[in-house]
Amino acid sequence: MKKVATPDYTVADKLKTHVAALSTAAKEVVLPLNITTHYPRERKRQPACFRGFMLFDPERCISCFQCSFVCPANAIWMKEAPSGRYYPTVDHGKCIYCHFCVDTCPGGALKTTKIHDIAFRTMDEMVVMTEDMVEPPAIIREDKVVVDYVIDKEDLTLKRTKEVDELIVEIAPSEGVPMVSVCVDRGSCIACKVCDKVCESGAVSSVKDEEKLIVKMEIDPEKCTGCGLCVKECSMQILRLVRRE
Amino acid sequence: MATGSEAEKGESKWEVEVPEKKLKDKLYFENLKAVVIDTELCSRCLTCVSICPSGLIVTEDDRVGFPDYEERCLDCGACVRVCPRFIYEPPSGLGEYIEIVAAKSKRFTGQDGAMATEIIASAIDMGMIDQGLFVDRSEKWETSIFHVRDPKQFGIGTLGGTKYVFAGILPALKDAVRFTKKGVGVVGTPCMISGIRKLQEEFPVFREKVKLVVGLFCTENFHYEDLMKFLRDEKEIEIEKILKTDISKGSMYITIEGKEKKRKVKMAEFEERGLVAKGCDFCTDFTAVQSDASVGSVGSEKGFSTVIVRNENAKEVMEYIREKGTAEFSEEIVMDEIDYLIKFKKKREAHIKELKLPA
Repeated sequence: MKKVATPDYTVADKLKTHVAALSTAAKEVVLPLNITTHYPRERKRQPACFRGFMLFDPERCISCFQCSFVCPANAIWMKEAPSGRYYPTVDHGKCIYCHFCVDTCPGGALKTTKIHDIAFRTMDEMVVMTEDMVEPPAIIREDKVVVDYVIDKEDLTLKRTKEVDELIVEIAPSEGVPMVSVCVDRGSCIACKVCDKVCESGAVSSVKDEEKLIVKMEIDPEKCTGCGLCVKECSMQILRLVRRE
Repeated sequence: MATGSEAEKGESKWEVEVPEKKLKDKLYFENLKAVVIDTELCSRCLTCVSICPSGLIVTEDDRVGFPDYEERCLDCGACVRVCPRFIYEPPSGLGEYIEIVAAKSKRFTGQDGAMATEIIASAIDMGMIDQGLFVDRSEKWETSIFHVRDPKQFGIGTLGGTKYVFAGILPALKDAVRFTKKGVGVVGTPCMISGIRKLQEEFPVFREKVKLVVGLFCTENFHYEDLMKFLRDEKEIEIEKILKTDISKGSMYITIEGKEKKRKVKMAEFEERGLVAKGCDFCTDFTAVQSDASVGSVGSEKGFSTVIVRNENAKEVMEYIREKGTAEFSEEIVMDEIDYLIKFKKKREAHIKELKLPA
């Protein structure tokens, strides 16, 4: 077994290390280096893609249910509005803030904000209704300083600026993947015309020829917005959304 | 249903042929109501319930109905297209077959030889289908549909055995074909089999996904409420204690828990009180001639089921059963017994002739 020997320090070496330690201590007394943001007096500047509380624009919503289908946490429940349309409600007790709903929304009705500090008193309150998602939630802002993290080589320092960060993000709604609805099994179509009834853009037409006893079904790819409402409602499940060519 | 690259293409223009209306200027459902439901020709096979896009055709008081059809019927004609009795060509006789055997399952217990269960279980085992639709019952003999995905599930004691009340197999079939990968197997009465064949004739989805259709020998069926009321009030039988019901030689035999002797109720008593479903008066099909294989107790000795193998797919399953040795076979078939009931049901053709259909 080998014994670990103590390095043979000279007096000069010892003096050098002592001076280095003392100078670091003196520096910390005068200008302490910490990387903690003093929330709520300060607020870290979040990027525009921050996944926070979601806002909802009923004008853009086409009630396609895509947000509730895609939600992996099953947090979105579609609520019927007096107008007969369905709008999303978000259960923040379940939401994992993945924002798949924001990404999937074909009309860009859901959008993100930088708000991460909302509080609820009860579990029931955590189910945020559609009407409470139109305007940003009332939060108390005590912050007067915005903190930016600056990474310089290996050092992380904080840069403090006296300003109030805007938490509402204004970004152009995502264009998404252009989709179009098509029929994949014409033989199984019963011509119930449900697709025609639910289509909001007037892309689906069904014309009945009373003499020949034939119903002519047509989806106009020009008008189809790819919302998927007809795909969802089709009783025989023969419509599909495919990528627009 | 088209899959993979085929589905990618799709079509944005297509034509659908719709059936002719017997009564012009009326909704399709009104046609169905006038021709089939109001004339009591309806067998309650529920094929129309399964296909209705609005999902609003229901059974109320043991009859098929559609509340508010004036406003809510989409007038697509699907119900008329699939109804096996709108244009009624009553099937009858023994039908075409490959072989007739008597068999008894070694694995399961059921009404007699439990061969309906055995055929579906073996089809799941051999990978022909991935789910079978069975009728389960509650303690009160109310029926519900059970999706069997593994033969082990037949351990549930109430799946086998005849229930003698109507069940909604066909509405469940539509969901089953949507989710199945390999295919679906179904067991049903002759009227349900006719409904399934009609669905298959009209829609490719059902042609591709319904792989095995097992028919049951059937003389008549009962409405749940009426039958249970009669047994409870007049015969003073506790419904919860009934273990098994069986109809043979003109009487219903009811096995009751804790009693050795079976209760015997003559069929004439049911008929007097009008308990037999009206639609059965017009049914001439005893052996489910349109099925892939028909199963029933008639014609074979006690504890065995008669199996009429009609199509290749059912023959494959029977060969698999022979290979695995999961059932006992016997060649003793009394064709006279089957013929007697075929003739008995054939007489009902007279009822169809008397029927006055709206012109």
